[in-house]
Amino acid sequence: MADEALFLLLHNEMVSGVYQAAEQGEGENGRCITKLENMGFRVGQGLIERFTKDTARFKDELDIMKFVCKDFWTTVFKKQIDNLRTNHQGIYVLQDNKFRLLTQMSAGKQYLEHASKYLAFTCGLIRGGLSNLGIKSIVTAEVSSMPACKFQVMIQKL
Amino acid sequence: MTVHNLYLFDRNGVCLHYSEWHRKKQAGIPKEEEYKLMYGMLFSIRSFVSKMSPLDMKDGFLSFQTSRYKLHYYETPTGIKVVMNTDLGVGPIRDVLHHIYSALYVELVVKNPLCPLGQTVQSELFRSRLDSYIRSLPFFSARAG
Repeated sequence: MADEALFLLLHNEMVSGVYQAAEQGEGENGRCITKLENMGFRVGQGLIERFTKDTARFKDELDIMKFVCKDFWTTVFKKQIDNLRTNHQGIYVLQDNKFRLLTQMSAGKQYLEHASKYLAFTCGLIRGGLSNLGIKSIVTAEVSSMPACKFQVMIQKL
Repeated sequence: MTVHNLYLFDRNGVCLHYSEWHRKKQAGIPKEEEYKLMYGMLFSIRSFVSKMSPLDMKDGFLSFQTSRYKLHYYETPTGIKVVMNTDLGVGPIRDVLHHIYSALYVELVVKNPLCPLGQTVQSELFRSRLDSYIRSLPFFSARAG
């Protein structure tokens, strides 16, 4: 992958671009987040095709989640997920203690209310990657203290 | 040996950041005017130095000193100016000022989407990292020398 700064700056502009293109209004925040998430979804689908073209088939769901935490995260963000938790019933929590897109923003509580905008794309990235591996899911993110954040993946059993 | 204060200006003269550690005497004018005075002086000295230099100029204006303090100056190609006042015992600190620019300003302000360029820096992270960096410098001592 190319220099990190390239993606970081582009991502930041994308977020502000989506927000500027939207009209004023309270409901816009949700719509912008959805737009960013959908962008991430499509990118995630493409990325996972590329990254797994030489890998063997995955044994089960847990194996797929481990792949996301280790190889996928390393290739995109140059580090692994710090903590993966599951209840073995379809809910996974991925914890990153030093999320790359947030490290420059703050080390604590400042700018916390804006953090969710910058996580939407990555949520979509995870959802898109999983969907191309055959897993339908819902991904949400929460931040209590930057730059640590948690991504919660809920697998939809069809 | 100590650091008195630090100014950060952008290309248009906007003071992006100011912090002080040991400043016994204030300028006696409001902060806004002080920043304008500092920027105006730097602008004039830079053009003076380049015009009156008897030899080909390499780095341009680096620092000046009085009997009590020394002012160090570093300018980047994009027009960001780092100005630090220290006491007289401190030698050339171009690399320190460069580090403040590259590892602190660029990393924490330019790459922060919530910090609009061209305005005073509001980021707490930048302020605290800068403070701890200055305090860790070998020529900074907690008691004013």
